[in-house]
Amino acid sequence: MRKLSFVALAAAAAITLAGCAGGGTKTPAADDGPADIRVWLVGTDTPQDARDYLKTTFEKENPGSTLTIEEQSWTGLVDKLTTSLSGSDSPDVVEVGNTQAAAFTSSGAFLDLTDQYKALGGDDLLPGFVEAGSYDGKFYAAPLYSGSRLVFYKKDALAASGLTVPTTLAQYISNAEKLAADNPGKSGLWWPGQDWYNALPFIWENGGEIATFKDGTWASQFSSAGSIKGLEQVQELMTKASTAPKDGNETNPQVGFCEGTTLQLSAPSWVKWSILAAADAETPGCPDQESNLGVYALPGADGGAGQVFAGGSNIAVSAKSAHPGLAVKALKIILSDGFQTIYGKNGLVPAKVSLASTLGTDEVAKAISSAAGNARLTPASPKWADVEASGALTDFFVQIAQGGDIPSLAKALDAKIDGILNG
Amino acid sequence: MSTLVNRRARFTPYMLLIPATAVLLVVIGWPLIQLFIISFQEFGRAQVFGAPAPFIGFENYTKVLGDPAFWNVMVRSILFCLVNVVVTMVGGTLIALLMTKVNRFFRLLLSVGLLLAWAMPALTATIVWGWMFDTSYGVVNYALTNFFGLDFHAHSWLINPLSFFFVATVIVVWGAIPFVAFTVYAGLTQIPDEVMEAAQLDGARSTQRFRLIVFPYLKSIFLVVTILQVIWDLRVFTQIYALQGIGGIREQTSTLGVYIYQVALGSGEYGIGGAIAVITVFFMMAISLYYVRQSLKEEQL
Repeated sequence: MRKLSFVALAAAAAITLAGCAGGGTKTPAADDGPADIRVWLVGTDTPQDARDYLKTTFEKENPGSTLTIEEQSWTGLVDKLTTSLSGSDSPDVVEVGNTQAAAFTSSGAFLDLTDQYKALGGDDLLPGFVEAGSYDGKFYAAPLYSGSRLVFYKKDALAASGLTVPTTLAQYISNAEKLAADNPGKSGLWWPGQDWYNALPFIWENGGEIATFKDGTWASQFSSAGSIKGLEQVQELMTKASTAPKDGNETNPQVGFCEGTTLQLSAPSWVKWSILAAADAETPGCPDQESNLGVYALPGADGGAGQVFAGGSNIAVSAKSAHPGLAVKALKIILSDGFQTIYGKNGLVPAKVSLASTLGTDEVAKAISSAAGNARLTPASPKWADVEASGALTDFFVQIAQGGDIPSLAKALDAKIDGILNG
Repeated sequence: MSTLVNRRARFTPYMLLIPATAVLLVVIGWPLIQLFIISFQEFGRAQVFGAPAPFIGFENYTKVLGDPAFWNVMVRSILFCLVNVVVTMVGGTLIALLMTKVNRFFRLLLSVGLLLAWAMPALTATIVWGWMFDTSYGVVNYALTNFFGLDFHAHSWLINPLSFFFVATVIVVWGAIPFVAFTVYAGLTQIPDEVMEAAQLDGARSTQRFRLIVFPYLKSIFLVVTILQVIWDLRVFTQIYALQGIGGIREQTSTLGVYIYQVALGSGEYGIGGAIAVITVFFMMAISLYYVRQSLKEEQL
């Protein structure tokens, strides 16, 4: 009797399982009839206005078809895209980080858009991002937007310490340390250990590189003399000027700023809107700080704008999209002047050079354009995305923030990155 | 007539097993075969999108077994698993014993609490625990600093690997204890009261009663639960992965499940990830087989 009930249970379980498994199948529809186009946007960078504009314009131009925007998170994006773009239920249009694009353009995940290049904007498109979205002479992923990294600061704190906006990297470092010394328990520069993007300018400004390509092999350069010098400055700032968690990540920088424990922070330009978000928003900000919020571009070692990391996104059509015709139409709307102007108005650099003026003329806009003029990218290897996803860089900077020995850590990191880039 | 009924009855259980077996074969068997094949191939991101995958023999396996990082992960996982299984089993059993002693109201209260802990998805639980142990704003640091006078201001719980695994153990054990407690409690209710009473009259102390009566009665339950815990704790993924996103150093805190994910999906090395997964499967099967054989032997005695 006992045996029989167990068997019955197993049969019941099997039927339930079978029921679950049957749900997900979908028959591919014929191309370009009325259909639903799924667009994956990543993070909250794209403003709601732009999302609404995309949906209404697309549905007006393509009667009967609908467009759904699905928001993805930046964490784990590369694996998520790998699994979903190769599956039968692929989204049609996807945003991807500019440093991640090469992993997909090189593996055939994206639809070849070479014949659409002119129609999408041609030579007006941001050149560095077109390069990031191209592989083997073909164009796969269009620029979406670019966001420079800026330094946000509290005007009253800077004034109270008798400091002015720094004009050289050395002054930037001494300013941050003075602020921290004058305000015990607060961050003269808020810098959580996992935030490696902000460390890159220090490496570049001291003559270092991330990795160089010679005779068909990549050589990671974190242990080169220039890089070490930059990393020493990074460690000095992380340990002396920052009270941020040594192993924390850079999400929600507005919390400390609004609370008053962060006096300066370096972040993408759109963080301004996180700081100034309404106090009762889902992720609240502190709009009352608007007049106290100052912004400047990171200065270089010899004055002028520093070489910052050019963050941003590309956008592409999945090679497995069931409706490539409609997907390309949606892509055209995304790259239209109307859509891109919304980015400009919200402090993101539009995908087209000719729309740079939409950024306006305020302090942020000036800082953005001077930062963008000197922005640089990560190594142009299809495997660079794997370096980022492996977590080696965040591990490295967490250990730097803890006060670890730079030369030996840098050497170990170089070996790891060489292994991935040349693997 | 009766032989026909007998024969039919004899086959009925197997007939009823067919759907379950078929589903298992499709849902678990087929991916397992795929995994096995991939582990012998050069399989990267390009192969996911349709490039041909050449067979490379045991190259993935030699790479994995020759990598000190893999052995570090393996040893770390086994230690983590041992600690967690012991703490979970002891804690779960103690709670089960407590449930037999308290009155109905408290038993109900305990059951509801256990059920809620059990019903909480691992990811949600980890994020909430992560907030409690947060460096800047966590309630644990706040309480230790303000109520106990210790200097835990801005203390990072995850940056030191040992401390990281302490937090991970708290989360994993917290989530696993309800299962052990309920199962052991169910077993405890099956022990005849007369036997316990007789032992008590003979002057057996409570520890003796547990060791000599309760434990032998529940031996098979303990065995099954322990094997399940070993397997679950060895392949723990969600809690470690989510905690690594909150803080800590990945290289020093990865366990087998997370390591497979990092190699296969994170770095796009599906072939090598597959090899690690196959090694893990065989390792777990070896543990399970050992225990099953032990229990069969004892049953024959």
